[in-house]
This record gives sequence, C-alpha cells and structure tokens, in this order.
Amino acid sequence: MGKRTLVPLGPYHPLLEEPEFFKLYCDGEIVKEVIWETGYNHRGIEKLCQSKTFEQVFYVVERICGICSTSHPFAYANAVESIPDVEIPERAKYIRTIVGELERIHSHLLWVGLAGHFLGYNTVFMWAWKYREPVLDMFEIITGNRNNYAMFTIGGVRRDISPEQATQLLKVLDDVEVKTTMLVGAVMDDPVIHARLKGVGVLTAKDIHDFGAVGPTARASGVDIDVRRDDPYAAYDMVDWKVITASGGDVFAKAEVRLLEMYESISIIKQCLEALKKTEAGDIKVKVKEIPPGIGIGHAEAPRGEVFHFVKSDGGNSPIRHKIRAPSYTNIPTFRRSCVGGTISDATIATAAVDPCYCCTERMSHVFDYTTGKHIMSAAELIKLSQEKTKNLKTKLKV
Amino acid sequence: MDIEKYIEDIKIKFPKIIDVEIVNTKRLMIHIPKNSLLEIAEYVFKELGYRYIIVTAMDSKEGFEIIYHFSDDSSGWIVNLNVMLQRDKPEIESLTPVVYGTEWIEREIMDLLGIKFLNHPKPERFLFAEDWPEGKYPLRRDYKEEKN
Repeated sequence: MGKRTLVPLGPYHPLLEEPEFFKLYCDGEIVKEVIWETGYNHRGIEKLCQSKTFEQVFYVVERICGICSTSHPFAYANAVESIPDVEIPERAKYIRTIVGELERIHSHLLWVGLAGHFLGYNTVFMWAWKYREPVLDMFEIITGNRNNYAMFTIGGVRRDISPEQATQLLKVLDDVEVKTTMLVGAVMDDPVIHARLKGVGVLTAKDIHDFGAVGPTARASGVDIDVRRDDPYAAYDMVDWKVITASGGDVFAKAEVRLLEMYESISIIKQCLEALKKTEAGDIKVKVKEIPPGIGIGHAEAPRGEVFHFVKSDGGNSPIRHKIRAPSYTNIPTFRRSCVGGTISDATIATAAVDPCYCCTERMSHVFDYTTGKHIMSAAELIKLSQEKTKNLKTKLKV
Repeated sequence: MDIEKYIEDIKIKFPKIIDVEIVNTKRLMIHIPKNSLLEIAEYVFKELGYRYIIVTAMDSKEGFEIIYHFSDDSSGWIVNLNVMLQRDKPEIESLTPVVYGTEWIEREIMDLLGIKFLNHPKPERFLFAEDWPEGKYPLRRDYKEEKN
C-alpha cells in the first residue's frame, strides 16, 4: 500500500440532522476507502418520545428534520393509527397527501439547486431555489408555517384547506410545472452534465439490496420500490400516478428520477384538490379516545425514501418504545460503494446524490496529508475542484 | 400474498419457529429462538429477497426483545423476526455478515441497550462520545438520568 491521503468530509453542522464524519482515504486522486463516524449530534429523540403523550409525539418527530417535517408525522400517524385501526375521513386523507407531495416538490427543488452548485452551475442553483420559494409560501398559507407544519394529529389533520387556498395552490402548481420543465431541460439536454454525471457514483441493484437503500437512490438503480404504491396509505391508492425509475444507477439517473417525480407530485396534488370538492368541508378528524396495548408499524415515502416508525403501546398515554428510521440511515452507507474507485472531485457529487438530508460537502473542512499532517486545501477549494472539472469538460466539448 | 399458506409453509420449513402472529393489517411477527436467527434471516433476505428495513431493540418485561424488520415490497407486507434475549445474558450473533446494512444499527443497539453482538466486524462505539461512562445504557428500564 502506497501513501494515502485522508480527506475528511464532515463532521459538524449544528443546523442539520445526522452530522457524520466521512474519512476518504485517497491514493492520488482516487478514493480507496471510506470510513464513517457519527453521533456528533445525537438528540435522543426515541427516548424523548417515550416521555411525551401520543399526541405530543407528532410535534417532536416533525422536528427530526426541517425538510422532511411531514414525512415523519406521516409515518408515525400510520403506525399509531394502526394500533386501534382508525379509519380517518376521506378529506383528511387528501389533505395529508397534498402536504406530503408539496414537501416532495420543495425538497427535490432544493436538491437540484444544491447539485447544480456543486457542479458549477450556479444559475440552476439560483433558479431552483427561487422557484422553491412560492412552494414554501404556499405551505405558510395552508398550514401557517413554512416549516414544521403541525398539520397532523391522531385521527386526521388539524386544518382544512379552503376553496380559496385551493385556487391559490393550483396557480402556484401551474407555475412550478413550467419551471420544472425548464429545469428538466437545463439538466437533461446539457451535454456537459451528461459527461459530468453519467457513470459517476454508480450503485447496482445488488448494492441497493445489500444496504437496504430506499427512495430515489434505489429507484435510480432500477429497483422499483415506492411505499406509496407498495403499501398504500392516505390517498395514494385513490389517485392516478406512476413510480419513476431509471436504470443507470449513477448520479445522472438520480437527478432524472427526482426531476420527473416532481411532475407526478404536481399531478397528485391537482387530483387531490379536485377530489376535495366532492368531500364535505370541515370533516377532517375523527376522535380517537385511547391507544390500546399493541404494536404499530408504519412507513411513508419521504422525498429521500422510506421513513419507518415502530410504536409499542401498553395502553397508557405514551409509547413505551418508539423506533424511528430515516431514509438517510440506510442510504448514507452506500457511499462505500459509490465513492470508492472514483476521484475526489466526483466524491463531492456522489455523496450529494443520495441527498443525505444535508449536503455533506458543506461539512468538508480541510484536506491534510495523512502522514505529515500538512494542510493541503480547504472545503471551498474542494468545491472549486469539482466545478473546475465541469469547466474543463465544457472546454473539451466546446460549449 | 396468501398469508395462511405463507405461515404454514414457513412453520414447516423452520420447525424451530416459536410462534407466528398477524399483529396488524399487513404486519407479520415471527417469534424465533436466538440460535436460528441467522438461517431464517438468510432465507428471508437472500432467498425471498425481502428488503432489510431496520432493527428495533427494547427492554421489555420478559427480557431484551430484538425485532428485525423486513419488507416484502411486492405485496406490502412487513415481516418481523422477533428474538427474546435473557436479561442476564444479552448476547446474540451479529447479522452483519448476512445483511450488510445492519452494521450501524447493531453498533447503535450496543451503545443504547448494552446488547452484545457476537462476531460483529467493527464492534466499536457508534453514537456516544469517548468519555461516556461504561455500563450506562439510556434505553434500559433501570437507567436514571443525571441532572446537571
């Protein structure tokens, strides 16, 4: 074994969930091994939930992540409502679905923007984040908050969607659809992006099964799984939509899946808004008196993949055990396969490709020589390295 | 999936299975003894091709309960393997050699509940800082929080 250089990714960004520390051991420019460390910001939420009532747990779990703040309550609701086997009103099902899909749109737009930035496409970054704003504003109009929506409760939702809000939402969706088409064009028709992302960070279907990876990460490798279709909850079996898959397994395929999924989300929301007209306004909640002893297992498809909640009740006020698994928990270990053998400049985008609920690159601090401890380059310089590779490709392809 | 037949078949294939129960709609719980975990998990994960979800461990009245969650995505069923460990000897064979993805969660359970996973490839601390005292496990029933 020759001399290896350690490139640290991480570990800390206090604003984001799941801070981790990836050590990339490199030989020259090639990544040879990835070692991870975590636990920098363990908040003990599972333990905390055991001291809250079933109702209060909703507001704890939606704070697991600011981006996925509907997915966790969604999975928790599926879990806890399955214990007494509650059937929620149809209107509540549609409202839940609308909020869940709006979240997917804003999360995917966020990812497209970040991915653009790391590749040196700052225009894509500005566009994507600009068009994400109206979606967040819509959240504020519907739920009262841009983040941490507090929409869910046991037996239904807490707020209704009025016809006026529905009209506003439709207008925003029409705009987003146009802008999505523009972003799809910017990504899919660009020869540089093809050259830069195809064949980078490839995950095979076997890798996906080995690690239990989920969501767009799995679907980009041709693994056709989606909880919304496989084990339908809320209104997903009452609307018409399809699961988007791609076959490449590389970063390009992951971008493709996410971009096309936004169209499906827009279509789902439009159908739900149409269906809301046929249900009675205000019928959004059923009363659930108590949660009997038993086990509830629920999952929901978050923008990044399946969120899984396990709740055990002994008939009291609080869960006696609440287990939570976020999608990044199984997606992040895939770096071991996607980064190894690639270059450092590709590791930046390969790690960002699973959308690990924060951007790993944000956490890069410094590169130093493992043997001498000498400082080589900083995080900003690493992003620059990735952007330069794109620039070189542009010159080569003469665009 | 025909659940009646499924339960019957798996009971015949693995006579060591203690009990099989349907806990909820599309949720199956298979209670197994700890020494047959590897062969049953291998069958479920490799032969049936179920997706590994996660492992839940808890301190229940009878002892330490470990539940391995697997998902059959073609039918939407979640198949859970439930192993009960004795309180005085919380040890079980690591599943990581069979299901690669369990490496993190087993280390997490070691930290939080003090259950030992035998033959784990990297039995090191996962969540806790280096200065966390030995023998203090926050998810155990007898754990007392220290006020600062």
